[in-house]
Amino acid sequence: MRGADYVIKRGFFALVTIFVAITINFFLFRVLPGNAITDLSRVPHASPALRHALLTEFGLDKPKWEQYLIYLKNLFQGNMGISFANQQPVSHLLLADLKNTIPMVTVGTVAAIVIGVFTGVLSAWRRGSPPDHISTNLAIFFYAFPTQWLGLMLLILFAGILPAAGMSDPFLFTAEPFWQHLGDIGRHMILPAATLMLTSYGSYTLVVRSSMLETLGEDYVLTARAKGLPVRRIVWRHAVRNALLPMVTLIALELGFIVGGALLVEVIFSWPGIGLAMYTAIGQRDYPMLQGGFLILTVSVILLNFLADLLYFRLDPRIST
Amino acid sequence: MRTVGTKTHFGAWARSLVAATAAVLVVAACGGGGSGGGGSSKIKEGGVFRLGTASTIDSLNPFIAFQSDAYTTFEYIYPTLVQYTPALKIVPDFASSWKTSPDGRTWTFTIAPNAKWSDGKPLTAADAAWTFSTILKFADGATANSAGYVAHMKSATAPNATTLVLTYSQPVANVLSQVQQAPILPEHIWAQYATGNGKALKTFQNNAPIVSGGPFILTKYTPKQVALFKKNPAFYGPRPHIDGFGLQFFQTTDAEVTALKSGQLDGVEVPVPPTSVATLKAAHFQVRSLPGVAFDDFIINSTPDQQASHKELLNPLLRQAFDHAIDRQAVVSTSLLGHGQPGSTIIPPATGQWSDPSIKPTPFSLATANQLLDQAGYKMGPDGLRIANGHPMSYTVIMPSDIAGEYGNRTFQILQPDFKKIGVQLNLKVLDPSAAYDALTANNYRNFEISMWDWFPLTDPDFMLSVLTCNSFEVWNDTGYCSKAYDTLYSQQSAAMKPAQRVQVIYQMQQMIAAAKPYLVIDYPDSIEAQSSHWSTLPEVGGGSFNSMSKLPMEGVHQL
Repeated sequence: MRGADYVIKRGFFALVTIFVAITINFFLFRVLPGNAITDLSRVPHASPALRHALLTEFGLDKPKWEQYLIYLKNLFQGNMGISFANQQPVSHLLLADLKNTIPMVTVGTVAAIVIGVFTGVLSAWRRGSPPDHISTNLAIFFYAFPTQWLGLMLLILFAGILPAAGMSDPFLFTAEPFWQHLGDIGRHMILPAATLMLTSYGSYTLVVRSSMLETLGEDYVLTARAKGLPVRRIVWRHAVRNALLPMVTLIALELGFIVGGALLVEVIFSWPGIGLAMYTAIGQRDYPMLQGGFLILTVSVILLNFLADLLYFRLDPRIST
Repeated sequence: MRTVGTKTHFGAWARSLVAATAAVLVVAACGGGGSGGGGSSKIKEGGVFRLGTASTIDSLNPFIAFQSDAYTTFEYIYPTLVQYTPALKIVPDFASSWKTSPDGRTWTFTIAPNAKWSDGKPLTAADAAWTFSTILKFADGATANSAGYVAHMKSATAPNATTLVLTYSQPVANVLSQVQQAPILPEHIWAQYATGNGKALKTFQNNAPIVSGGPFILTKYTPKQVALFKKNPAFYGPRPHIDGFGLQFFQTTDAEVTALKSGQLDGVEVPVPPTSVATLKAAHFQVRSLPGVAFDDFIINSTPDQQASHKELLNPLLRQAFDHAIDRQAVVSTSLLGHGQPGSTIIPPATGQWSDPSIKPTPFSLATANQLLDQAGYKMGPDGLRIANGHPMSYTVIMPSDIAGEYGNRTFQILQPDFKKIGVQLNLKVLDPSAAYDALTANNYRNFEISMWDWFPLTDPDFMLSVLTCNSFEVWNDTGYCSKAYDTLYSQQSAAMKPAQRVQVIYQMQQMIAAAKPYLVIDYPDSIEAQSSHWSTLPEVGGGSFNSMSKLPMEGVHQL
């Protein structure tokens, strides 16, 4: 029963947080200076009539509270609205963007997690040694890099070797075979995913190292060593398993952000994902796109946090007792 | 990014609709109506030209689209009545000839006979009449973004398949430049949406492949990635030499230039950053830096109702002093790396006859500036700042973020120390373009002090001149300038059917602005383009070789 209480309580908090996020999403963009029709009404010889027509069309002539109620009503009906910029359903646009974002960000994030865990474990096990110093300093070095700068450097370094932009060879008039197309996407993905990986693996390295150092000082590790167990077994089966608990939260949070895309990376490499869509929408004050994009981002982060809570409940007996 | 037939970043129209240099280069090869021109027997046919762009296509529906590449797409897939040559002459496109009634209110166009849409349906004057009539009918609603094409138009009719008659409520001087911008749509596809209040016209997405009447058919469009155009065998005009072209969208010019250098592209659209010119030339790319029609400006709040805290900005002596404190030569050599000219009037010299040559760049002289401010009675305060109306002369300069990153910051760093030397403090405030424009217009223009921005005017001066009219408040006007005398002249030039008469009025308007100084024109940046040397040179038309002013560049380009 304790378990059910825990799940219900956490689930309730998640729902409240989502509702608050939905509300903030509505008001946040409307308090920004500038407005949705400033750009769109600026065509040569535009008149106040065009501004009025756009205001009416987008429902922006209504009071804010009425706009908010319409927004809530539509949202509960599963309708995210129509993009101001191109008059297409936001849900379709975001779905297309997500399909592009998820593979690239997943590759970058998973690679960062794998490398981060490996280097973190190595650093902890060899603490104080040259490999530890090199690994830790490298992690801090890359973690401190501004993403856009590192991306640009990679772009320049690999010019002519790897594609500079987009997610596939764009100039093909006829469809290429599936595997060839997949390979093409893979080549285009290398630089953005590598940028993402390099700028984020450091945080995993440091967290894992710290957690591992704590674990390696535990009595059961000493006991294992005293029993003469092989080092690899002590590290990977006894120490790492317990040290990874803090990683659950970190990974859950990072996975939540996957759907938010990697804004700077997508902009630098012209990757047509959700991060780039949000970047464009902010400039255009495309409220429905912004609301939809941030809704997906907040819901995914909240749900994955909820999942992390449940995992903790399962993994850490201290919580359920 | 410096853009557009308008303000930077206010997208669409802009970049394309600029005027340019009389760069007569290469047009012969494109043949203003010919089929590729000189020595066509030697021309290598076929191939796909790969072009990179930092703009985008936001929509394929002309009643929704805003970005410049969308309008360029319409130029290549739809007929337009006329088009520009690189020398900025208006020449036939879908209309082979035209005439005006003596009162200047009726324009009759003779349309290409036996033309067809890409789906085989007849393409006639009726399609043109339907397009203009539909824009007129819903000009206050669904087609409001195209209303500029039909300014003062009363009706559009097609008495027969090859005759289009446009009637106007008054003589209109720039009818040809207005209709040049209007893509003619296939009535048999679009008519079903032009019912009721016309709202359906904006719900139709017009997805690729699109029924086309221009030299190319848009066969594939992947948002934010690529648009592919295939040669249209049914085109009424000269056949392009290439099989097609592709347009790849980039978010940064760095990635775009890198892709060109590594052979992933054959050309990049303007604007190529001046910093890339040397390396591209060293790598044997064709790089053209030609006088452009854009200009960068320093805006001084000109509304008489502005807040008392900066009302001294209306003082003509102060404006003259500020003008003398701008080191235009330093800006050109440092911010533009020499790729530009010092600025003077709001109608750039590259537009040809419309620019008043008697207006010269104000010479840089801090001594003169100091003298003028002394004369105005603004005494130097203890901290090195002059005092005007009881307060130190310290002003916030609003700058849109898209010019701040490259040109803007460098230029501000030149201006700020020079202004300090005349006892004036300038403080930079960078906002995104939407917020910047709202900051200028806030409280009916009363709040802002100074701004720095740029313009990419249309080829015909009418638009740029309209920006300073009272009617343009909160739409385009970014200075708060409003003068009945100026508005009267604006109306006169709009209706002046004789070019010589119109030129005189336009000169008078430029002189008014040069004297009132709502804008201090800083410079005219060059239009820089780069392309592979494996292709014939794309001619620039109005500041770029890929814009909505002409079909000629892509019709004429071929492999070498």
